[in-house]
Amino acid sequence: MRDLLSLQGLSIQTSSDKRSLTADVNISLVEGEALGIVGESGSGKTLTALSILGLLPRGVEVVSGEINFNGENLLSLEPERLREIRGKEISMVYQDPMTALNPVMTVGNQLLEVLDYHNHEVKNPESHVRESLIEVGIPDPERALKSYPHEFSGGMRQRAVIAMSLLLSPKLLIADEPTTALDVTIQRQILSLVSKQRSRRQMSMLWITHDLGVVANLVDRVAVMYAGRIVEVGTTKQIFNSPQHPYTQGLLASLPVASSRSRNRLASIPGVPPKPWLVGQSCSFADRCQFVQIRCRESLPLLDARGSKSVACFYPIASST
Amino acid sequence: MKREKNWVNYYLQSTSGIVGAVLVLIMITLSLISAFGLAPHDPLEQNPMDALQGPNGTYWFGTDQFGRDIFSRSIDGMRRSLSVALLSVGLATLFGVTLGVVGGYLGRWIDNIVVRTSDVIFAFPAILLALAIVNSLGNSWIDTSVAIAIVYTPIFIRVARGPVLSVKEMDYIKSARVLGYSSPRILGRHIMPNVFAPIVVQVALSLSWAILTESGLSFLGLGTQPPDASLGLMVSEAQALAAFAWWSLAFPSIFITIVVIGLNLVGDGLRDALDPARRSTS
Amino acid sequence: MTLVIDNVFKKYPIRQSKTVVNALNGISLNISKGQTLGIVGESGCGKSTLARLIVGLESPTQGAITWRDNVLLRGSKNQWRNHLSPAQLVFQDPYSSLNPRQRIGECIREVISAHNLRKKEEIDSRVTELLKVVGISGDMKNRYPHQLSGGQRQRVSIARALAAEPELIILDEPVSALDVSVRADVMNLLVDLRKEFGLTYLFISHDLSMVRHISDVIAVMYLGRVVELGTWDEVLDNPQHPYTKALIAAIPDHSQVGQMDLTVSLEGEVPSPTNIPLGCAFHVRCPIAVPNCSKMIPQLLPIKSSQSVACSEVVK
Repeated sequence: MRDLLSLQGLSIQTSSDKRSLTADVNISLVEGEALGIVGESGSGKTLTALSILGLLPRGVEVVSGEINFNGENLLSLEPERLREIRGKEISMVYQDPMTALNPVMTVGNQLLEVLDYHNHEVKNPESHVRESLIEVGIPDPERALKSYPHEFSGGMRQRAVIAMSLLLSPKLLIADEPTTALDVTIQRQILSLVSKQRSRRQMSMLWITHDLGVVANLVDRVAVMYAGRIVEVGTTKQIFNSPQHPYTQGLLASLPVASSRSRNRLASIPGVPPKPWLVGQSCSFADRCQFVQIRCRESLPLLDARGSKSVACFYPIASST
Repeated sequence: MKREKNWVNYYLQSTSGIVGAVLVLIMITLSLISAFGLAPHDPLEQNPMDALQGPNGTYWFGTDQFGRDIFSRSIDGMRRSLSVALLSVGLATLFGVTLGVVGGYLGRWIDNIVVRTSDVIFAFPAILLALAIVNSLGNSWIDTSVAIAIVYTPIFIRVARGPVLSVKEMDYIKSARVLGYSSPRILGRHIMPNVFAPIVVQVALSLSWAILTESGLSFLGLGTQPPDASLGLMVSEAQALAAFAWWSLAFPSIFITIVVIGLNLVGDGLRDALDPARRSTS
Repeated sequence: MTLVIDNVFKKYPIRQSKTVVNALNGISLNISKGQTLGIVGESGCGKSTLARLIVGLESPTQGAITWRDNVLLRGSKNQWRNHLSPAQLVFQDPYSSLNPRQRIGECIREVISAHNLRKKEEIDSRVTELLKVVGISGDMKNRYPHQLSGGQRQRVSIARALAAEPELIILDEPVSALDVSVRADVMNLLVDLRKEFGLTYLFISHDLSMVRHISDVIAVMYLGRVVELGTWDEVLDNPQHPYTKALIAAIPDHSQVGQMDLTVSLEGEVPSPTNIPLGCAFHVRCPIAVPNCSKMIPQLLPIKSSQSVACSEVVK
């Protein structure tokens, strides 16, 4: 299968003082695959996602690398073509559903506008929009179409945003922490909804999150980001069951397991993540790593592909399985 | 260890801030020269023989129709304008900030009274209100200052009240209440330091507006009365002469412009220097 | 008994819409000295309102909160104005819980000096000691909050609470805003402090896995009432209330990878607290509801000596 999306050597910096925010990010996604990007605040996960759609905030820019989507380099496209791809082929769901919807426009009109803007030919736009709401589990779609976003609860708003992002049957859905602001029972509803829609539509998905638990049963592969770089990539099973990077392992060990009966001391990672621009030519995790060696401080470990899994570490933890 | 930068360091990094400060300092120096009687001529002394002379070696800015030295009158007018501005903005800051902080912090009916009153004052056009007050108070520079202070007090109420309302809701204020701190302590140590910055900026900006208002009042024949000099009054008197004695209009106008621009630049510079968000990026 | 919360109601009238937010609807809880009570619930369940009532920032509309048999929080408002509350709060957001213009050492010193908790000459060493206890070295006491990481700020907040020598520390989502790799550190610190000083905690969170980790007793709240109460292992091993069951099932569990079990644990959403369903507030979402559930509010009744449930279908 060919790659639908591939990021090659993507580096993002601030425009004014050239601070590195992400460096040499490589990600690939085949058609129909779901990839989770996991990282803490400042790891560069959201910037990476935003760069794909050319939506980086002012003052931040891609300085090197390529973003190939379906054979086209998104970084060198005409703005016109990029707008066409946004929404139609790649769509995005954000963390805060309130700001993703226009407060002074009914939900129905916002959905119709999407169809209209992209000249999407459907026989009956109204019923198409209604069906899209039913698909995401919004009860009483007739009333929902005439409602304004503030009349919706948080969960319903996120459903409406998902309906909007699926309206044009995109090939790729990018989700930036869409369940972080929601209650756990609602989060589970949304995860279940997205998971069903993805398999029904054979859609690819990029799921950005800080919460390892969320992606454990949602995606096929996981990339772990730390201080602007990907430190480990692998199938979900490999990452969760036999993490090789000390950071991934530490992160997993620090989470209390809800189903476990033990209440032992949580394993913790000392210190805080460094600023990506202050790392230089050494392992960014060296200062917090319990297995650190001299070499880790003198040169930069790069992702090294071993079959389907790779890890940016000179002394990876031996796989236990 | 590197010494921590304070807001002065940040202020001095801004070119426009430095330019503003220099302009304002020049005007203050000129006012002081006049205040200590060191002006080249007596601003009130009439020399009919020298009337309406253009700028020259004796009269740097020329003379008016009574032969009075326009430079000496301009710096004396600047002294008067700055005095009125300082007194009026000082009074407005004192009352406005007190009312705004107390209203915002205590809320309820006290806040209601403060807000309604300032809304009423706001509803009048500033210059009209100042005119009415000066008419009923009198024409001394103190009366003018009080009038301008009344007009500007609501602005300071707003500038102080807004940040108090938002800071009041911060968790550290809730924490201070749970820790049993007295209201004066919470106001003085936890709220005021966090609303100080916008007030300082407002003071700088209001000084420039106050100078314009004082000039406006004098121009309209209220405020400073002849034969005393005031920049606004000089502009007013020069109207009829401007066609053949441009200097009588130009120099007082330039002085007003310089001090207003200077104070605005200082205000902008302070806004940037006192904003922790802007500072933390560097 | 340290703290008794007895049938407390809290209503917030909204003037514009002439409606009332029913934040707490008859909640009763006890916290004993040295015990950690965990409160878990989703948005709108009233857990943060309860915290504000206990520390005295607000007063109950009805009911009483009692310390050691002295009713102190009945009716009159601002009980603790100008007095040190026996309960101290640690907030969720480490960025708004410290005064940005106050050095962290000063922030702790102020608590001690404002209430004369130590002799003047002992204050300095007490400040250093408190910072050390939460894992911050004494030479950082001249730093401003913005020079600290989120985890360090949360430690300062904890030290500030400790400085007041409270009977009870209320931890309102203390790790939710922190980075994942820092959470474990703060959780461990809380456990260590409890052991070292015999502290009493009220740990409030939406995250059952955190509540489970630290609590002796867990109370599950839904729309302003406790629906299940029991020791931590009872509530997790043997949940009885259908809401507790759904909540446990909804926790993302990274220990079970690849099972792709993303079935919905609970349909619908929490109703607005301005319009609480009659009878059992949960009946509109409940998988085992019967018609009677909309008629009677179920009381919290014991099913074992230490576990109680508010569900008429479970307790029959």
